[in-house]
Amino acid sequence: MNNQLFLFQRLRWKILSNTLLLAVQGSKLRLVIILLCSLLIWGGIFGASAKGFHFLNDQKIPLTGNIVGTVFDFLFLALSVLLLFSGGIILYSSLFASAETSFLLSTPAAADQVFAYKFQGAVMFSSWAFLLLGSPILIAYGLAFEVPWSYFALLVAFFLGFVLLPGSLGAFACLLIVNFLPRHFKQVFVALIVVAVAGIGLWIYNIKPSDWSDALNRDFVQRLVGQLSLAQGPLSPNHWMARGVEESARGNINNTFYYLALIWSNGLLFYLLTAWASARLYRRGFNRITTGGTLKRRYGGHWLDRLVTGLVGFLDSQTRLLIVKDFRMFRRDPAQWAQVLIFTGLMVLYFTNMRRFYQEELQPANKNGVSLMNLAVTALLLCAYTGRFVFPMLSLEGRKFWILGLLPFQRERLLWGKFAFSATWSLLIAEFLVLFSDFMLGMGNSTIAMHALTVLVLALGLSGLSVGLGAWVPNFRETDPSKIAVGFGGTLNLIICLLYLLVVIGLMAAPWHLRLILPEVADDRTIPEAWQWLGVGLGIVFGAGAIYMPLRIGASALRRMEF
Amino acid sequence: MIDLNHVTKTFGAKTAVNGLTLRVAAGELFAFLGPNGAGKTTTIKLMCGLLFPTAGTIRIGGFELGREGDRARGIISYVPDQPFLYEKLTGREFLQFIADMYGLAPEHGRRRIREMIDVFSLGDFVDDLTEQYSHGMRQRTVFAAAFLHEPKVLIVDEPTVGLDPKSVRLLKDLLRAEARRGTTVFLSTHSLDVAQELADRIGIVENGQLISCGTLDSLRKQAAVNGSLEDVFLKLTDEAALSNGRSHE
Repeated sequence: MNNQLFLFQRLRWKILSNTLLLAVQGSKLRLVIILLCSLLIWGGIFGASAKGFHFLNDQKIPLTGNIVGTVFDFLFLALSVLLLFSGGIILYSSLFASAETSFLLSTPAAADQVFAYKFQGAVMFSSWAFLLLGSPILIAYGLAFEVPWSYFALLVAFFLGFVLLPGSLGAFACLLIVNFLPRHFKQVFVALIVVAVAGIGLWIYNIKPSDWSDALNRDFVQRLVGQLSLAQGPLSPNHWMARGVEESARGNINNTFYYLALIWSNGLLFYLLTAWASARLYRRGFNRITTGGTLKRRYGGHWLDRLVTGLVGFLDSQTRLLIVKDFRMFRRDPAQWAQVLIFTGLMVLYFTNMRRFYQEELQPANKNGVSLMNLAVTALLLCAYTGRFVFPMLSLEGRKFWILGLLPFQRERLLWGKFAFSATWSLLIAEFLVLFSDFMLGMGNSTIAMHALTVLVLALGLSGLSVGLGAWVPNFRETDPSKIAVGFGGTLNLIICLLYLLVVIGLMAAPWHLRLILPEVADDRTIPEAWQWLGVGLGIVFGAGAIYMPLRIGASALRRMEF
Repeated sequence: MIDLNHVTKTFGAKTAVNGLTLRVAAGELFAFLGPNGAGKTTTIKLMCGLLFPTAGTIRIGGFELGREGDRARGIISYVPDQPFLYEKLTGREFLQFIADMYGLAPEHGRRRIREMIDVFSLGDFVDDLTEQYSHGMRQRTVFAAAFLHEPKVLIVDEPTVGLDPKSVRLLKDLLRAEARRGTTVFLSTHSLDVAQELADRIGIVENGQLISCGTLDSLRKQAAVNGSLEDVFLKLTDEAALSNGRSHE
């Protein structure tokens, strides 16, 4: 048993070292660009966080501890959710739908050892993006508050212990679903997601501050902090993590190790339970998933396919066929559409919880703030959507390229087809959300028009970036879209898309809203009107570049590609 | 060595394997034939413990798969029709992984790897990543891995697809030699000439049921055909299909 544990670790190390060696020996330029972009985003987050923490520290802002605590609570809550959902979904694909596990299960490898090996992979895949985005915040905090050196060393111990808990829960849920979910999988799964989304929605609704018009003051912070009962409850693991990190920063050794022990003991217990369950349920689940359906199931046309065909009716017939093919494959993959449901649930949650703002007579400055926030949230969701679903599309063609590569049309058309598919959906959803919230808030016509234009630039630009980069750094070896999205190329795409949306909102929407907000909050200060229009113009030019450049680079890469 | 006792496997409403009873002795080379979708691969997956029987029991080397699956798999080698290789490992690293997985002593493992590299002529590419291999190179590497730990039961699904004539000849000689050495070889194939040349006994499965099992001569008698295995196979499967068709009416 221990021998197998060692064997799987050695296998992972061999694969990793060979992959890295290959990357170093391959295209140096690509590697350098990826590393530089990663460093840039890490540095950007670190810089912004350090500035924020220094501000809190230097200005002696009241309730600084509470604000930092709340930030940490949410940071680790985000990691928990990421590990729970993303980890569970990746693990599902790795355990039950991969050629590797079919191979391993036909060897004398123990089921729980195979499970442990795949579990570690899924947790690493799910949390490395958090490491890239979360570590600069934690390190900046440590430097700004001049914490003891032990804080930095213990961060690693905290992180490793923490990922066990949500990772194990996600894995346990995955095993239970595969083994015991009734045959009407689709209906039950949708119902589960609806219940989960409704539950989270209710919770967020309850923590919503009753009156934003008070702006940021002591009462507001106290009320907000007081209302975060679930995220900050004594039984909440992300709260243990947040408190542990804070105690470590304060140099309280006893409390630090108390929380560290709490995290590790619970993490290990849940991992042990999950590993114990895997020894009994993994092979059973594998058998069930392989033989669960009926071989006689008939697949055919669907009204959704006809809807998509109609939506992209403006394209030529070959491109349209490619788009419908992509969509059909997508809707027949439960791991894919389940995540769309989660995304949709998140959007519904957010906009449902905006209800109170729509009902209240907000001050114009607050209205502008909420409206800008809605735009930013929609842009973030678009960014997540294109990164998760659009970027992997070209990679997923993988070894099927012999079909598409031989078709009598230019390869670039593949890119344009995927771009049109992504842009159409993104535009429809994002424009609806932003315009709906703007109308409900009673924003002015010019602001609504500017938001519609910004969403257009965002949807087209993010689609161009994800499709173009998907062709530039494809991963034809991987068949799991979740892994492609969180892999090296996927993370690079996410980083670039985040930078893009920051720039576009910064150029197009921020000056517009600032010009409306500033006269109210700072009597004698405003920004010139020309800045608004200059920003909009620059945003459009930048957006055009984000469509043209990546698609051109992607098309060129696709033309040169050998299969 | 292989003992299937009234094994049934259903996929939802469809019965892929239907009450299959089959015994294959040690040192026997058994060819398992059948049309597409007859239940051959499902039977093989059941024998490897990848799938569980809906009814019936399977024993490999005396180990009941439901209770002692890991021990049973320790004496099996399975080469599927679409074998898996770690793309980011070299052929040698993959062989070493297999040697370690099957618990070969380090020195013995190294010796066997050297032997398999020689037997399957892997020397020219064994230190390249397997992602660079052609189909034939992959097949040869997979077979080297399958023979590496000297299994008592060798299960192969469509072994000759993608191999050049020389490699096919080598593989046929090796399978025969393994059987002489006492290894049970369970060969699923559509290459009837290979089955006719190598097999001690032949089983024909149609619609999840074993419709015929025995030596080529006994199959000829059953089919009342004095021709090649191809003639016998077509006659028996056509009759079974007709019989099934009637039973559905």
